[in-house]
Amino acid sequence: MTRLAESPGTAVSTAPAQTEPDQASTAARILLWTAERGIVVFTLLLVLASVVFIDGFASPVNITDVFHRAAPIGIVAVGMTFVVISGNYLDLSVVAQVATGAVILIGVSNSHGIPLAILTAVVVACLYGLVNGIAVGYFKANAVIVTLATTYVGLGLLRWLSGGSIYFGPKNGVIANVGDIKLGPVPISAIVLIVMAIILGFVLSRTTFGFLVRAFGANNESTRLSGVNTPHVVLGAFLITALAAMVAGFVLAAFSNTAVSTMSDGYDFRALAAIILGGTSVFGGRGSVLRTVLGVVFVSVLTNVLVLSNIGYGWQQVAIGTLIVLAVSVDALARRMSKK
Amino acid sequence: MTTPQSLNFGDNPVRTKANRLRRVLRRRPEGRAFALLGVVAVAALIFEPLVFTAYPVTLSRVALVGLVALGLTVVILMGELDLSVASTVVLAGVVMAQMPNIPLGILAALATGVVVGLVNAFFVVKVGINSFIATLGMLFVLKGLAVVISSSKPIPLDNITFAVKFGLPLVGALTPRILIFVVAFVLLHVFLTRVRAGREAFAVGGNRQAARDAGIPVNRRLVTGFVMCGVVAAGAGAIDTLERTAADPTAASTVLLSSFAAAIIGGVALTGGRGSVLGTLIGALSLGTLEVALTLTGVQVDIQQIFIGGVLLLAVMTDPASLRAASSSIRTFMQGLRARSTDRELTPPNTLPS
Repeated sequence: MTRLAESPGTAVSTAPAQTEPDQASTAARILLWTAERGIVVFTLLLVLASVVFIDGFASPVNITDVFHRAAPIGIVAVGMTFVVISGNYLDLSVVAQVATGAVILIGVSNSHGIPLAILTAVVVACLYGLVNGIAVGYFKANAVIVTLATTYVGLGLLRWLSGGSIYFGPKNGVIANVGDIKLGPVPISAIVLIVMAIILGFVLSRTTFGFLVRAFGANNESTRLSGVNTPHVVLGAFLITALAAMVAGFVLAAFSNTAVSTMSDGYDFRALAAIILGGTSVFGGRGSVLRTVLGVVFVSVLTNVLVLSNIGYGWQQVAIGTLIVLAVSVDALARRMSKK
Repeated sequence: MTTPQSLNFGDNPVRTKANRLRRVLRRRPEGRAFALLGVVAVAALIFEPLVFTAYPVTLSRVALVGLVALGLTVVILMGELDLSVASTVVLAGVVMAQMPNIPLGILAALATGVVVGLVNAFFVVKVGINSFIATLGMLFVLKGLAVVISSSKPIPLDNITFAVKFGLPLVGALTPRILIFVVAFVLLHVFLTRVRAGREAFAVGGNRQAARDAGIPVNRRLVTGFVMCGVVAAGAGAIDTLERTAADPTAASTVLLSSFAAAIIGGVALTGGRGSVLGTLIGALSLGTLEVALTLTGVQVDIQQIFIGGVLLLAVMTDPASLRAASSSIRTFMQGLRARSTDRELTPPNTLPS
């Protein structure tokens, strides 16, 4: 809460003071509009431009590929939206959670059957959510550091227990068959993403819990003073993130019918990029699941275009990192200028 | 608002030994680091005394992470975070290997650190973004740049003889890396305790508005902090490259975790305004000893990660502010339970309006 109070404070002496009130408000309105609704326009423009200018973008094979790559990241991002809106920045440990979900689904179902695999995965996901949520909610520890620690503990445990090996599901097994279902060019993974987005969107915008998450992100102190058990709310946000990450792990495993502990590298920052570009504020309180889905479309199409144009992994990281910083800058500037 | 304060008026006029000890512990932030160091040292003595006979190895491991953690301490003291340190280490090494000779390379590496620090500070101070997010974005940008420059292959240094000499002991068993670490520690300690700009860092982190009202140039101090952190991380990258005789874009994967762990175990509060480089030094010592002890007993790297991650988690949760928050949450919870049960007692079913 100190930090929430500080960030506008840092800005006081640096804001453009000499601008005319009229101009300032126009600029503020443009920035605010970009931060709030820009993603719709940018996504449309990007998709249109790639259809027109990039060879092979509109082919069914490529579109299925985009869906496949977007779905697990999207499911993670939709869940992580709760943590971001509750004002806790992000959950870095989704990398470990997705990989754990995938390895448990394939590994345990190979030896003990699918029901037990799903049960184990749910228990492990709840453990992740509980550890993160208790540390951040009850102990008010910094979410970035806590989830950094749980990432290393989780990945370390996973690599140690799995020996770092790749797990293959049986050919034509249930998991492989479910993973292959398609409706036209739309694979089942994308359908899972849509279902998750609808459910979590409902939870965020129509239930008391969702309202409390948004209220806590907007002003944690006044939410606490109005009698809400705020640590519970934070815990709930982390539990939802963990369960969504587990589903993403299932989707990832079913699609390739393999699982390995390194398969979710970079999911944390791609999901965060999608959430932030979608217009959900890192300062907490504002945002929605629909925005995150739009952000996922944007990030996935952008990545696909970069890959199709033979631009390497390094430049992709540079591009998405820059986009994160730019999007947050626009949000911060808009907030500061509209406050004046 | 929730800044931990050692000033406690109206608190314990009774001067018992226990109270004095508690006061000292409350004032000094390094307590946990000493405790961990003690536990690790005793455990190492019992299970793997080789840790102490091979102390140059231990010290050089400590120096690798410790140097980054020292720079990080300055930023954390100001109430900000720099998540881009590990990427700065890597990028500085890669930039250094691009240069034709080593002195120019070291200069270029340090310049990289300055630029990274300035960019971070620009986003935090001028734009007003939270430093977590700004430096997280930088983490990926810098890592990407390192991959782009090096085409994700290790780049060998041209002048290997100098680099090899750099890894050899200079004074007694101390390699140049350890000496640089010690010098950096002394310099930063003097800066933070004896130089005005350094002491004002505590004020900037403790209560930024009060610091501003007191006439401290907060923004300039923040820029100084981020640049120092960047330069120290870049220096660590240069040293690492010299010792490896090549710049490896995939190296330093656990530097981020370990350097944060060292600073936080050392009692540097993430809310800012509280901590010391001495604490970071002891935190780095205990972590380095732990790592070497685990390596020597033949524990896999994965399990070492579990240990360090666990220690970090424990360290954030046992921070005085965190413990206070947890106890108050539990108290509220218990009050809620009690209120609910008294409600039930006060309104027996037969008095309910029908």
